[in-house]
Amino acid sequence: MSVTLYLGCVIRSLYPEVEKAVKETLNKVDVQFDEPKDASCCAPLGFFSLNRSAWLRLNERNMRLFQSSVMTACDDCFASLSDAFKTISEKNGVKAPEVKPFEKILMEKLEERRMVFSFKGLRCAVQHSCHLLRPARDVDDAENPQLVKRILERLGYLSISYEGELDCCGGLVFEDRISKILADRKARALEESGADCVVVTCSHCMRQLKSVSKLPVLHLAQLSALSLGVKPEEIGVPDTLVRRMVKP
Amino acid sequence: MISRLREKDAGGLLKCIQCGSCTSACIVNAVDEEFNPRRIIGLITRFNKLPDQDPWLCSTCSVCVERCPQSVNPLSIIMALRMIKYEDGNKLPDKVIEMIEQVKKTGLAFPLNPETRGKRVLLKLPEFGISEEGLNEIRNIISEAGF
Repeated sequence: MSVTLYLGCVIRSLYPEVEKAVKETLNKVDVQFDEPKDASCCAPLGFFSLNRSAWLRLNERNMRLFQSSVMTACDDCFASLSDAFKTISEKNGVKAPEVKPFEKILMEKLEERRMVFSFKGLRCAVQHSCHLLRPARDVDDAENPQLVKRILERLGYLSISYEGELDCCGGLVFEDRISKILADRKARALEESGADCVVVTCSHCMRQLKSVSKLPVLHLAQLSALSLGVKPEEIGVPDTLVRRMVKP
Repeated sequence: MISRLREKDAGGLLKCIQCGSCTSACIVNAVDEEFNPRRIIGLITRFNKLPDQDPWLCSTCSVCVERCPQSVNPLSIIMALRMIKYEDGNKLPDKVIEMIEQVKKTGLAFPLNPETRGKRVLLKLPEFGISEEGLNEIRNIISEAGF
């Protein structure tokens, strides 16, 4: 299997340990990838809400650079690219590449074979990405999402439920007061859940929750890479978490 | 107002029956009652008025889109209001201006900082950056959009 890897702005610029974890995970599950060097920002809602034509033109340009089906590692990029490609394809009658989020491809690969994992026992609370689930794009159940939880369990971690699990973290609210209220509200729910860490698949959730949460915030790829044998220090998994895991 | 919104892909505006499903599902309304999607849509459809409420408070979480029993797309109406208020001279949030400026400069909304650059070298990750030719294409698109 081969994909065009679209990592977007935030992961590459702010969280290289997540980029490393995504790439190591793909290597371990035999997914080849290439990265189009000239691809731009996916122009998510901040842009799109102001100028639809700029959003479409930037992504038409991105689409020309993609040779195969696209894998994103941020659910905001996933939403922007898949909605833009669908619109462009309907408007111009062209075939657009398929866009899949990291978690979807990882699940497909984990279902293909039985793997033995090196760590177990970490209690994870998932921050579900709004833009993965809604408006429904057939990736997961919008009202009762299970995809990321099922992956975590397959990888040997414990996925826990908590109050307000589907609530938005406010990561894309551009007004500071409301953004902070939503972040604090979410952080409190996560801390009260009894989890050891928070797991995200959207880089805006990552930015937002890292700024307020007392718990470590990890991208799903960091935990998948860890389970697949990558050293924690290479992928930014803190020692405090590694010490909480029990070897099977 | 209604025709201006329609031009901007505001979905299903006139199908709204003012039931309030959007507002009861809205997380921003749960923390600030002033932001009320039902009232925003009602002001437009019943009184043809531009709502005072700040469309930039919306978190874009899209629960309203999922829950509307009439298949109205309240999110798209709020996004269209952002555009209309901008065209009418309202200032954009600083963070949005900054993102647009960064895309113009580097093609990316969040550019690489020196600390991360060092981390990338340690992790043996490749350098990245858009070619001058690519940047020119991106800048053209953005300036033609009026930014």
